[in-house]
Amino acid sequence: MQTTLDADTTPAPPHIAKHPLHWRNRDYGHHWRNRDEEFDASKFGMWLFLTTEVLLFAGIFCGYAVFRMLYPEAWSNGSHYLDWKFGAANTVVLLISSFTCAMAVRCAQLNQQKWLKINLVITLVCAALFVFIKLKFEYMVKLGDGKAPGTFFSYEYAQNAHEQLWWSLYYVGTGIHALHVVIGASLLGYVLFRSWKYQAYGPTEYTMVENSALYWHLVDLVWIFLFPLLYLIH
Amino acid sequence: MMTTLDTHDSHAHGGSYFDGPPGLLAKIWQWMTTVDHKKIGVMYLFAVLFMFFLGGMAALAVRYELLDPVRTVTELQGTELVESTTGQRLAFLQDIMNAKSPNEVYNRMFTLHGAVMVFMFIVPSIPASLGNFFLPIMLGAKDVAFPRLNLMSWWIYVIGCLIGVFSILLGGVDTGWTFYTPYSTTTDADHYRVVLMVLAAFVLGFSSILTGMNFVVTVHKLRAPGMGWFDMPLFIWALYATSIIQVLATPVIGITLLLLILERTMKIGIFDPSMGGDPVLYQHFFWFYSHPVVYVMILPAMGIISELLAIHARKHIFGYRAIAFSSLGIAAVSFLVWGHHIFTAMGELAAVLFSALTFLVAIPTAIKVFNWVATLYKGSIVLNTPMCYALMFLFTFTIGGLTGLPLATLSTDLHLHDTYYVVAHFHYVMMGGTVIAFMGGIHHWWPKMFGKMYSETGGLIGCALVFIGFNLTFFTQFFLGTQGMPRRYANYVDEFQTLHEISTYGSWILLAGFLVHLVTFIMSLVGGEKASANPWGGLTLEWECESPPIEHNFHHEPIVKHGPYDFESVVPPHCDPKDYPLPQSH
Amino acid sequence: MMLSTTTLADSPSILQDWIFGGNAASRAAAQSDAMFLAITWFSIISFVIVIGFAAYCVIKYRRKPGVPVQPSPHHHTLLEIIWTVVPSASLLVFFVLGFRGYADKVVAPANAMELKVDAWKWGWKVTYPNGASSPEQKFLSEQVLNDGLVQQTGLQYPIFYVPEDSDVRLRMHSQDVIHSFWIPEFRTKMDVIPNRYTGYGFRTPKLKAGDTVMHQVDVYPDGSPVLAEVSGRDMWIFCAEYCGDEHSRMAATLRVVPREVFEEKVAEWGRPKSPWLLGQTIWKQQCQICHSIDGKPGTGPTWQGIYGTEGAFADGSTHMRDENYIRESILNPNEKVVAGFAPAMPSFQGSLSEEDLEGLIMFIKSPDRDPTTAGEDGDSAGSEG
Repeated sequence: MQTTLDADTTPAPPHIAKHPLHWRNRDYGHHWRNRDEEFDASKFGMWLFLTTEVLLFAGIFCGYAVFRMLYPEAWSNGSHYLDWKFGAANTVVLLISSFTCAMAVRCAQLNQQKWLKINLVITLVCAALFVFIKLKFEYMVKLGDGKAPGTFFSYEYAQNAHEQLWWSLYYVGTGIHALHVVIGASLLGYVLFRSWKYQAYGPTEYTMVENSALYWHLVDLVWIFLFPLLYLIH
Repeated sequence: MMTTLDTHDSHAHGGSYFDGPPGLLAKIWQWMTTVDHKKIGVMYLFAVLFMFFLGGMAALAVRYELLDPVRTVTELQGTELVESTTGQRLAFLQDIMNAKSPNEVYNRMFTLHGAVMVFMFIVPSIPASLGNFFLPIMLGAKDVAFPRLNLMSWWIYVIGCLIGVFSILLGGVDTGWTFYTPYSTTTDADHYRVVLMVLAAFVLGFSSILTGMNFVVTVHKLRAPGMGWFDMPLFIWALYATSIIQVLATPVIGITLLLLILERTMKIGIFDPSMGGDPVLYQHFFWFYSHPVVYVMILPAMGIISELLAIHARKHIFGYRAIAFSSLGIAAVSFLVWGHHIFTAMGELAAVLFSALTFLVAIPTAIKVFNWVATLYKGSIVLNTPMCYALMFLFTFTIGGLTGLPLATLSTDLHLHDTYYVVAHFHYVMMGGTVIAFMGGIHHWWPKMFGKMYSETGGLIGCALVFIGFNLTFFTQFFLGTQGMPRRYANYVDEFQTLHEISTYGSWILLAGFLVHLVTFIMSLVGGEKASANPWGGLTLEWECESPPIEHNFHHEPIVKHGPYDFESVVPPHCDPKDYPLPQSH
Repeated sequence: MMLSTTTLADSPSILQDWIFGGNAASRAAAQSDAMFLAITWFSIISFVIVIGFAAYCVIKYRRKPGVPVQPSPHHHTLLEIIWTVVPSASLLVFFVLGFRGYADKVVAPANAMELKVDAWKWGWKVTYPNGASSPEQKFLSEQVLNDGLVQQTGLQYPIFYVPEDSDVRLRMHSQDVIHSFWIPEFRTKMDVIPNRYTGYGFRTPKLKAGDTVMHQVDVYPDGSPVLAEVSGRDMWIFCAEYCGDEHSRMAATLRVVPREVFEEKVAEWGRPKSPWLLGQTIWKQQCQICHSIDGKPGTGPTWQGIYGTEGAFADGSTHMRDENYIRESILNPNEKVVAGFAPAMPSFQGSLSEEDLEGLIMFIKSPDRDPTTAGEDGDSAGSEG
């Protein structure tokens, strides 16, 4: 349901206020009875989509569990190669971004256009920081050591024959997660762009903000599982 | 259903959904960018039928190769003994397909058949075509919940099919549609055709997920006023259960196929035994999706049968709630039985567990069949093409279901697994179930979709040929399997020849049946009699629309005041009470 | 119920013959047939009831113009409970019996003879407890003509011997992709998986008076085989898991023979051979399906006259085909792929010993005849060493 919180009453500049994409000018789909139903449906659809995402990652977690059982030693070695400090840093970064992302939704509901943009910018900065840490301090360093997936694996000091598998799963898991970070950031970037240009989101029109934020929370959630499994459990 | 709908002012509101802007290019552009669920449904219908044709051609090629075994014949030519080989009937394709041997041509053909039929035809068949067209209408909605997403899933489907067809045009793949590792990761190592085909299946999965999501939300949010959950037609219940499976199962095949692609391109080793990976893990992942997806294929068919039997027997469906709940029950249990595809590759304990769960899934299916048959009791049965197809479904699907029992039974499965018995069983379920119901459904809703009647004679002749051809083709295969004929063999020992021959002749009759249908449909489109709004006397909401429906389906939002099968108390809309009298005593 | 299936197993019916060809080779197999038959009867009865009732309704309640439909209940709780409970109960019985039959099929007694089964694209090899393996081949069709000569035609399949009336356990392993070892007459198959042992057991049947097979007992001076009927029973072994081009040729014969014949043969195969003979045996067992020695190209190139000549390879290079080349091609076959062929050969690293390699090199050097027995006629395919 739409919330009816106290709205920011600052009027938008006239060229934006008249734009068809401005939130006050948006209509709902012709096949809906009212705006609320459309909003509920969109959110419901997003939750279903998030279910599919969870199941997608479930496949990776399942593979992780199976090989952990088969080759516990390689898995233990594997997590020792990872530096928990980078993982923890990235966890903090993502948690902050999730908070600002949630705040962005609230700002849209309250028509606080300025803070909506600020929160989105912080979220995007966190996303960039996450990817930067991942690439610069983890992927680049490890690839340089030869700890690469599949055919590219050339790490000479591996103590267990199955460490190659560990790296494969590490790259598949974190790689697909990183891809989701990029997709989520793109969605939020799109929201930021429209919000900047047209003030497209407000108390009666924030479906896109809400759904992008839900997606972003999922990205966070997946990392909350990946981090201990890969970095902390020895 | 009695509604506020007044059909007599229909033309004041514009014509059918088919009417487009003048000019061919404008029309094509309008169809390509349409968000109308009906247009998308019709485009899907033609696309899946084309894929059915493509997969069917491959099936005929497979049957043609198996007409006789490969024999080496020694002949005296002049003074020399010359050895020659007979029975390699697909050898002429070897150069065209750039294959290593005639056997590889055969292997590519059955892979092509399986991959096209499963990923491009049967999974999207009923939900994406008839489902797209009728789900919103039967709920009394103007469209699906997310029309643009619907268009997107159509285009993703097209892209997936194009990638698949591209792989086929490059020569095709010989992995089998199941892409079992490590064969699929090592065959034709220097070619990207396998990657392309796997990518096609991956992309098609997205289309499936999006359609499923769309349907679930539509059913939850867009039911007409007065339509409670238990006032929904059973076709909708079936599509709802199907969509849930699509949403929950497809992502798992997504990650599996992605891993397979990485395995082939980068040798990540997860499924590669030489690197410590586990090829059986692939099978678990694969069937975790591909068994539930069997119910994605069959549940919508069951929904169609519920509609056809009720309407053409003019009888309230027997045990409405039992059928509705059994759909959900099947959807739930379907996630727990994947292991029965790999009894011969798993430990004893797991095998016992999966055997028990597999028997469990048989029960809701049996309940449905009993309810359908009970619906016929004291009905008013008309033997038109849709009804004949529905009855044929009861016949073939019951055989398909019962022949599944020895496959769920552990001791007999060890013998029958990966033989022609399995081939026969799943064709009785998939073809004898889904395709037969699909054909029945197309005939049933043809007048509504295109506004034209089809020739009942043509329909019945086609139906009879399909029945005969289908049973000849596949019943023989049960015996081939029990007697020792393995699957996916390009060649076989002489003693199986008679049964293989009968099976191949049956496939030709089957082809003839479908050609009769094709001609009937074309004749209907070209010069068919105009269909009335409610030719069968149905009570579900689509029969309150015009034939074909107007752009937004209804002139006014319908209000539902009776159930979908209340034939004993309601005279169908647009129908003469003389033709559809109510019972004298009730 | 167990009792009744046992009874059925002891008296095979016509239906059973019709469905299976009546050739169950063990008690577990016969019980499996009986199980199948019981389910089939259950299915036939269910089918007749369901479809019979539907047919009755279709005939009785055909639509007649103007006649309204008769009212009848929309559901019937008792009926629905019955048709839920009765099938569930039957299925439970099938499940329990199927589980017991499965255990009978899969588990072999502790004292069973263990055979090691190796699978590769595309062939089978069975190794006996003494390390020996069978070099014998069977032609798809062998006919004794009027004049006593034997016409052998069609493809050749290896013959694996097992003694009659004894327990056998298989331990199976694949060198490349997944295969499945199926003996239809024992009604059992199991997947053969790389990097993992699988297996099952069976009890071989007692030979009956009429159980005879054609077997080569001698060689005519012109090299053609002399066949005679000996006591034994042949069964097909098929690969049941799709494995590529020659999947449908990946068959073998399981031959049940009297125990003394079996023991004699296995002891014979266990004796040391000359390297060339060893090479020929391995060729017959493992290489023949792809590599001919008469010049015909198969899945792989022929071995006729290749030794000591230049070979042309897929990458455009040429190379002298010497001992080193042969060794490399066996152990690391995709290093140099002969032009015109696909890189389809699995590596035999680990599965062939140093002696085996030596034998193969000797054989490839001179596939037609054993150089150590100069002057005599070459050993024709089909005879034993």
